[in-house]
Amino acid sequence: MTRLTLAIFLASSLAASPLMAANANNTDTPTAEYRKQWHSDILTGYQNLAAQSQALATQATTYCQAPSSEGFEQTQQAWLEAFLAWQQVRFVDFGPVEQGNRAWQFQFWPDPKNLVARKASHLLKGDTPITPEKVSESGVAVQGFPMAEYLLYDQAFNNGEEALPTGRSCKLLVAVTRHIAGNGQSLANDWKGFQSNYLGSHQYTDTTIRSAMAGLEILEERRLATPMGLRGNGKRSVYAADAWRSEASLAAIDASVRGLKQSFLPAFSKLLNDREQTELAEQIEQGFNEVLANFPELDRPMAPLLADDNAYKMLQSLYIDVTQLTSLVNDRAAVELGVVRGFNSSDGD
Amino acid sequence: MIAMFRPAPLALTIAAVLSTGCASTQSESAASQPATKATVVEHYASLAHAGYEDALITAKTLDEATDRLIANPTAANLQAAKEAWLAARVPYQQTEVFRFGNAIVDDWEGQLNAWPLDEGLIDYVQADDYQYELGNAGATANIIGSTSVNVGGETLDVKNLTPELLANLNEIGGSEANVATGYHAIEFLLWGQDLHGFEAGSGERPVSDYAKGADCTNGNCGRRGEYLDAVTDLLVSDLEWMVAQWAPEASDNYRSQLMAADANEGVQKMLFGMGSLSLGELAGERMKVALEANSYEDEHDCFSDNTHNSHYYNGQGIQNVYTGNYRRVDGSLVSGPSLSALVAQTNPELDARLNAQLEASMEALGVMKAKAESNQNPMPFDMMIAPGNAKGASIVNGAIMALVEQTGSIEQAARQLGLEALSPDDAGHAF
Repeated sequence: MTRLTLAIFLASSLAASPLMAANANNTDTPTAEYRKQWHSDILTGYQNLAAQSQALATQATTYCQAPSSEGFEQTQQAWLEAFLAWQQVRFVDFGPVEQGNRAWQFQFWPDPKNLVARKASHLLKGDTPITPEKVSESGVAVQGFPMAEYLLYDQAFNNGEEALPTGRSCKLLVAVTRHIAGNGQSLANDWKGFQSNYLGSHQYTDTTIRSAMAGLEILEERRLATPMGLRGNGKRSVYAADAWRSEASLAAIDASVRGLKQSFLPAFSKLLNDREQTELAEQIEQGFNEVLANFPELDRPMAPLLADDNAYKMLQSLYIDVTQLTSLVNDRAAVELGVVRGFNSSDGD
Repeated sequence: MIAMFRPAPLALTIAAVLSTGCASTQSESAASQPATKATVVEHYASLAHAGYEDALITAKTLDEATDRLIANPTAANLQAAKEAWLAARVPYQQTEVFRFGNAIVDDWEGQLNAWPLDEGLIDYVQADDYQYELGNAGATANIIGSTSVNVGGETLDVKNLTPELLANLNEIGGSEANVATGYHAIEFLLWGQDLHGFEAGSGERPVSDYAKGADCTNGNCGRRGEYLDAVTDLLVSDLEWMVAQWAPEASDNYRSQLMAADANEGVQKMLFGMGSLSLGELAGERMKVALEANSYEDEHDCFSDNTHNSHYYNGQGIQNVYTGNYRRVDGSLVSGPSLSALVAQTNPELDARLNAQLEASMEALGVMKAKAESNQNPMPFDMMIAPGNAKGASIVNGAIMALVEQTGSIEQAARQLGLEALSPDDAGHAF
């Protein structure tokens, strides 16, 4: 298993691209226009993540101050909205999200060894106070959406003695959601501060395109093909998907594709049109629409779809639409634009 | 620690001196052959052949040591078997660079080096300190503990623990964590579960787990011995097969196919293997995941706490492929036409930089190895990745950063040699 979210920045892989114009550091050159739009569209996504994360932290605090079953459901809903806001910008694997492994802090995944459960049990059983500092030093498996999801959705945990709203689990939930909210706010601010750097470097045009390519590849291979049993040993397993506890694996895919459509596609379409790839640009837009046409019908738990061969067909049609979109962007458009993929963190097992 | 972050020019100077010194020791006739893509690929096959031969030699020693342990389970024989295992890892880890790019190795290696494993498939585990892969129906099957096991509704007869049976049990029930064979299965049978978490100490399996009669601890000592016997025999025969694949002057093995293909393909495999192991696998999966999640479940050699050596010799393997040099277990040096010489023909500056970066990586991995093996306050990898261990984290990060840097130059070397596409084939697009 390889975590494709690993963001290791390879400066050299950005060199020598046809998309790089001759005079670097000149924001007036054409490609800066695309980056201007990307910067603005991604900022919108990041600001949404910051707002939803703050709403989650506030809701978790309210619930833990006066627990109720209604408050619990509201907290679950706030978690889902913030998590989906993250899914929309998850493809961005460069810039401020690389600082301090923020991407992993938001979502440590995949977690085949169930590290989240192990870390939760360790923290809840101990008697060291659960503080923001404790969460900050406890590693990425503690600091993000999967930990909050575990506390809010895990069935075994919710039937156990430490289930919410017991004191320590509430303290952990509040500390973790505040950590997420802090990261959401910093990320949006840092992205704003990153603007001149981003607009000034032609390299970031390729980097942005590559991030979308990687996002689509992860979606196709890891988030769909692997749980569907189309890779490796062929076993269907919902545990290979993300967000299986909240049954939001497919809703998260919907959100990621919507996020790419909102934050990546506008400038990318413009770029393709400017390169006289009008037909390809149209096909890609159509490809996005075809993937999204599977929803909201497919906004449902993945496990029952894996268990029933008839229902599985719904996943297959989604998968086919996703592979067609991925192929258009990662093969055809990348070749037309001369975007070369170098080594990436997925070159492992 | 300061040494690891010194300015690049200094690192360049030192490493250049080191690699010059190394080159001057080359005296074999092969080294005088001019480097062309074809001779470089041929020598690459020779490096692989020598590496797998060494892995086989040391695996046979391990097999003999475990045979002695099984026949006569004394503390000294257990210790000797552990030392033989550690020695066997030195050449094997240097061959991992051949995995990426050579499908014949990648398809085969799971049976030898798959990791992480759910050890409860094999033998008894302490349940409250055992975290297995989610959804793995075989995670607690305990093959040693019974003559038939049930995995996900399927009942299997495991009465006779033969090498073939164990090989067929790999990935049973569709879980990659069901690893019944290979180095890590043997490691578990020698060391046992490491129950120390982030604290000092590795697995503490008592030698009486192999004792005869009433002295047997934890039950099924006879079957445990049979298992160890079968799994070490399998390791030897698997390595024999791979040695034959890389042997020279054969007409029907992998080496002959590689040599018959376009030399560009071979060079691409070399660079792809170096880059993939550097970045995605070693820097990423084996170090960064473990560090950032503070997860000793993601520690490579978790039973023996030999992870630092696994990483170190992985790094050495990457350097070997570039320099064309391999120091064999008997101390002799294999050398010949190298990628380094090929790159230097057209871009000596890039060659010097990549050589320096490979040296810097080995130095950073050397710091990790030295700290783990230090007489005073040793800090093995599982302690380095503990929450709040700033010194440990900086050692691991130093190695990660060095590997990331060299990967950038590996990509440049590929471009320098006219190879654009280093990405793996997208075979996955077919459906």
